[in-house]
Amino acid sequence: MHCARCLLRVLGQSVYRAARPSLLRSPQHRQVLRRFRSNDTPAEFVGAETAVARDPFAAEHKNEASFAEALRAFAEADVRRRGHVEFIYAALKKMPEFGVERDLAVYNQLLDVFPKEVFVPRNFIQRMFNHYPRQQECAVQLLEQMENYGVMPNVETKVLLVRIFGDKGHPVRKYQRIMYWFPKFKHANPFPVPQRLPEDPVDLARFSLKRIANDLDARVTVYQMARTDVSRSGEQTAAAPHIVGIQSPEQMGLLGEHDPDRPVLVEGPFPLWLRKTCVHYYVLRAEPAPPEERAEEPYDPERCFDYPLQLDLDLDRDLGDMDTLDVEDLDEGPVYAMCMTSQGDQATLNRWISGLQESNPILGRIPTLFRLRAAAPPRELPAESPTDESLGREAPPEEARRSAN
Amino acid sequence: MSIILGPPSMRLLRSLQHHQYLFCPVLSRSVTQGEYRRPGKPRDNKPPWQKINFSFSKGLDGIRKHLTLLKREFFERFVGPEGKPILEHMLEQNRVVWEFRGSESLKQWTVSSDREIGGQSEVYLKLGRNNTTCFLYGTLRSTPPRDGETRYSGYCSMRSKQPLAAFDRKKHHDWSSFNTLHLRVRGDGRPWMINIAAETYFSHQKDDIYNYFLYTRGGPYWQEVKIPFSKFFLTHRGRIQDDQHPLWLDKINTIGFTLGDKADGPFQLEIDYIGVSKDYAHTEEFAYELYKRNPNV
Repeated sequence: MHCARCLLRVLGQSVYRAARPSLLRSPQHRQVLRRFRSNDTPAEFVGAETAVARDPFAAEHKNEASFAEALRAFAEADVRRRGHVEFIYAALKKMPEFGVERDLAVYNQLLDVFPKEVFVPRNFIQRMFNHYPRQQECAVQLLEQMENYGVMPNVETKVLLVRIFGDKGHPVRKYQRIMYWFPKFKHANPFPVPQRLPEDPVDLARFSLKRIANDLDARVTVYQMARTDVSRSGEQTAAAPHIVGIQSPEQMGLLGEHDPDRPVLVEGPFPLWLRKTCVHYYVLRAEPAPPEERAEEPYDPERCFDYPLQLDLDLDRDLGDMDTLDVEDLDEGPVYAMCMTSQGDQATLNRWISGLQESNPILGRIPTLFRLRAAAPPRELPAESPTDESLGREAPPEEARRSAN
Repeated sequence: MSIILGPPSMRLLRSLQHHQYLFCPVLSRSVTQGEYRRPGKPRDNKPPWQKINFSFSKGLDGIRKHLTLLKREFFERFVGPEGKPILEHMLEQNRVVWEFRGSESLKQWTVSSDREIGGQSEVYLKLGRNNTTCFLYGTLRSTPPRDGETRYSGYCSMRSKQPLAAFDRKKHHDWSSFNTLHLRVRGDGRPWMINIAAETYFSHQKDDIYNYFLYTRGGPYWQEVKIPFSKFFLTHRGRIQDDQHPLWLDKINTIGFTLGDKADGPFQLEIDYIGVSKDYAHTEEFAYELYKRNPNV
């Protein structure tokens, strides 16, 4: 009996040997199958090159075409599609290896493997009693894998499901659920991340910095592009990492007003997740000024002509008019700039600060403290006391002072 | 995301499965099984009298604590409902329910991860910068435990404890005069899910939770999130249900945050406060349809 696993392995061999039209009818393939079952090595493998060179299961042979070839081979082998449930489960499991898990056409082809109209219930008793439960469960698992990978089914999926299982079975109900809930949640993310992120690290840094900047006026500056040195033996070593920074005009204004006696801190690296990739960014910020040093600057009435910024009215606000939460405002100090770089050591960050100094000359007079920690935070035991381990206060492994020029 | 669609007859996420057909001659085991028992862990067959541990000082502390709570409960109704004057209770527009200032605030929260079902994710909770925020951090790993039943894994969550009155009676949050959840968070770009569990009557409704997404932007700036309660959809054991109804706000038990976005690696979430507010501009009662189950194909 041609079991599903054997068919997949046979297909591996055939892909290696250049595709033939009908796989299981030719005598060579029956020979191969017979050889599969015997213990002695086939003639072509004896004294051949290393197995690696002739590996039929190598990753380069696994692509959408070979997957479709496997499905077609199974479908053409038997009109009754014996063992199709196990075959579909195995194919679902192998989809990530072939790189087709987000491809709707492949899921439709996989659904096509089911024999049509056999599993459609023909009367109310069959409809009541979960007609062909194993096949229904298999189709539901297929739809569930589609749902896990975020693949939206289309009308071809629906037509296939109705042809295979009738219009009141579990697979069609699951399809209806997917079609109801997916559009509702597709645009629920107010900060969407595209499926395909840019591969160039500078472009990725540009995208992520714009995302976290919280200001549409912020400008991205590339202070240094990545440079690789080719050493004598021909290896490429990264001589200089890329440095991409971002700063908005408002942040520049705040930095201009910073008191030169108080230091600014370079902190990092902080993680930022974009779908499945994690990038790290560094922040230039200052500690908030103590309350006695905070000067209240009067509002300039000419700053905004649309509405008055300050009203001296003597109105009493009732309980029903309080529209802000009664919570003390956390003042964490201003953030002056952010940057992303592949190598977060002090030399690179110094280079960033020098680059920032060109547009913010006050940085030349302000002392800079570096608070860098290891990119992966160490395993912290949950029983530590909070005062020692709070994020901003932990003793940094490298702390240096860049004195005023 | 951990929301999965499926008909109720399918048992798929192993951790939410429930042994119904045990052949157990001891009646107490099937009647009193409440906690999840990890597959492979031996059953705890100690008779109830062996589970008592008696401590005099803890007993006295307990009595003092409960009597204080009872006294406060008795006298607060002379001030007004829930200890607030009636005018304040009626006209209140914003209320801060959880504010993380000081380590006492962390005692109202529990964290859990898929370590309970045999996974390898870790989650820890501590106070953030200057002891003024709560910092939830850890590592997510989605390798499923090898017990032959679990297929998906990799989740971490933080849940508030059920508020308790004197002598450990259940108390509920009453948010019936509000319609929006207002949080201030600082995440790292990961999508979280907010779970609100309301008080239910029937035992089948025990795992009914109302969920909605919390998308974080990441970055050093705080993010204010306002989610109206009409957007929360009903799920049971992680599966979104066909019959939806709006969340009833008069008896809320717990609120929680879950991460299950299948991206292995470290995560962190900082929460400044969680409050509820009444947004007069929001008139929607429920965001999802309430009619027509099983439509024609």
